[in-house]
Amino acid sequence: MNFIESVKVAINAIWVNKMRSLLTMLGIIIGISSVIAVVAIGQGSQSAIGKEFEQFGVNRAFMSTNWQETPTDRDYFTHGDVDAIKEAFSDRLAAISPSLQDSGKIVSKKELQNISLNGVNEIYNKIETIEMMDGRFLMEGDMKAKREVVVIDEKTALEVFGRTNVLGERILVQMRYRNLSLVIVGLYKTPKVPFSNVANFEQPSNIYIPLTTMEKILGIGDRVYGIELNLEKDTNVQDTLKEIVKLVERRHGNVGKNKYRTYTAEGELEMVNKITGIMTGVIGAIAAISLFVGGIGVMNIMLVSVTERTREIGIRKAIGARHKDILMQFLVEAVIISVIGGIIGTVLGIGFSLLISMFIKIPPGVSISTIMIAWLFSAGVGIFFGIYPANKAAKLDPIEALRYE
Amino acid sequence: MIRIDSLTKIYDTGSIQVEALKKINLEIGKGEFVAIMGPSGSGKSTLMNVLGCLDRPSGGLYRLDGEKIEELNDVQLAAIRNKKIGFVFQSFNLLPRMSALKNVELPMMYAGISPKIRTERAEAALERVGLGDRMHHRSNELSGGQRQRVAIARSLVNDPAIILADEPTGNLDTKSGNEIMGIFQQLNEEGSTVILVTHEAEIAAYAKRIVAFRDGEIVEDRLVEERIVIVSES
Ligand SMILES: Nc1ncnc2c1ncn2[C@@H]1O[C@H](COP(=O)(O)OP(=O)(O)OP(=O)(O)O)[C@@H](O)[C@H]1O
Ligand SMILES: [Mg+2]
Repeated sequence: MNFIESVKVAINAIWVNKMRSLLTMLGIIIGISSVIAVVAIGQGSQSAIGKEFEQFGVNRAFMSTNWQETPTDRDYFTHGDVDAIKEAFSDRLAAISPSLQDSGKIVSKKELQNISLNGVNEIYNKIETIEMMDGRFLMEGDMKAKREVVVIDEKTALEVFGRTNVLGERILVQMRYRNLSLVIVGLYKTPKVPFSNVANFEQPSNIYIPLTTMEKILGIGDRVYGIELNLEKDTNVQDTLKEIVKLVERRHGNVGKNKYRTYTAEGELEMVNKITGIMTGVIGAIAAISLFVGGIGVMNIMLVSVTERTREIGIRKAIGARHKDILMQFLVEAVIISVIGGIIGTVLGIGFSLLISMFIKIPPGVSISTIMIAWLFSAGVGIFFGIYPANKAAKLDPIEALRYE
Repeated sequence: MIRIDSLTKIYDTGSIQVEALKKINLEIGKGEFVAIMGPSGSGKSTLMNVLGCLDRPSGGLYRLDGEKIEELNDVQLAAIRNKKIGFVFQSFNLLPRMSALKNVELPMMYAGISPKIRTERAEAALERVGLGDRMHHRSNELSGGQRQRVAIARSLVNDPAIILADEPTGNLDTKSGNEIMGIFQQLNEEGSTVILVTHEAEIAAYAKRIVAFRDGEIVEDRLVEERIVIVSES
């Protein structure tokens, strides 16, 4: 009996016992579909986060004082530091801006809207990707004159005014010590943030005002809380940052005291990837265990099937079936059940991941290789868990098998 | 065709050893039609199983169509069962959910014959046993007599050297039983060697030679004098 013949016989046997075959497949279906869904969501979020970081800017970095080392007045960044960095690293710097953040609430018709107020300079839009929809970004003139102007995002505009043609309008921002009335000069597109729906944290929108204006409002002297940087393409971000920190440390006389911290998109991305990788691994392992349990289910049913078909095996042997013919028949049956289960599981898994992605707004990352691996794996499960029952069937003594009632 | 020399079969059930065949010598030539008779437990089925290569003897020699059966391994025995032996059982032993045609095709499948030729030959075999109009019925939709015809068709489809039938009429009424015997007789007329086991003298009377067993030994070996002969219809 050749292989195609075995497949035909196996398919026939599966078809004859439709219900039982389906129940046997169930374990495999659940196993494979959860593996596929988990991997799809995992890969999907990784690539979504990757994209987000790309949007954030791969060569972007942020410097701040290290609060764990209790910085004192002489450690804080100054505008002099920023200028020094700009001069010393002009070849590698695409843009640099001090940044000053505070939270506030915008007074809107309905309720107060939480926002994040960012004091930045006019080239900040060369550091962070800010897609203008209307008006302009902050300008040098705004800095010099410390104008009370603001660039807001579309979402805030819609929440406060219910429309997007808001240039020239004023918004009222409540801060801890005083209220501000700011004139809108620009409107930018609200960036999409994945997970925001699931995690249930509504990230406050960023609105941008001139750094000088912010410093005036907060009454800050020559002190810079954070420095945003964007390095030229193909520069080594980590090395350059080390050099920059060294320069600042020399200026403040605190070399090696670890008073400054740097954050890079690259570093954060690595960490996030690590975390999602671990999560995918853990959930994947659980899914794999369920697949294993499914495999045991296949073995169990195959053993029942062998017992139930003892007489059939006896008949087949009596008319000339060899050991390997019977082995093949049952093995192929186990593999076909597993592979069909794998195929159904793949379809369901993709379905699940699409469903989940509707909630977390992340397109699932289903790759052909994942599917191929899943199918090969289910075939492997079929062989692994099918070989024992199949061998048991093949070893049956024909006379005893024929006598079996 | 068949020669066995001091063939023994001992069943070892642990506590007791049953000597089912005691140094049997028997020779059956091509074209013979032999009925094996004897009381229950006398070793008839044991002999059939050994002749049919379903079971190995405990000792002695067995030549089938020139092959030294006792020297063959399991794979070779399977091939012998497939090509040289056609087995017909008392309880038919068809695969229940398969059509008659598929059942008859089965031995050819294990012989590696192509599907087209298989179907042709299976159809011809079913015609031969008078079941041309029931080929596509499932075997569990057939009557006992019809099932046994399917089983006979299956046994002869690989053109075996011998057809072995262990009480083929045991589960049938007299009429169907006689019909089945008519078929065996016809096959024998056409050249097949047939060996069958039976309790009933009327059934044995269809054969040409009777071998009688008692307690694992041959006690009588004679030709049938008053033979029942069914005039073949074809
Ligand atoms: N598998 C077995 N294990 C142990 N003893 C067995 C086995 N098969 C048969 N025997 C014994 O061997 C002897 C011969 O049995 P066998 O089946 O050949 O008899 P039989 O002539 O076919 O009887 P019947 O007419 O009832 O079918 C009996 O005593 C039986 O109990
Ligand atoms: Mg018997």
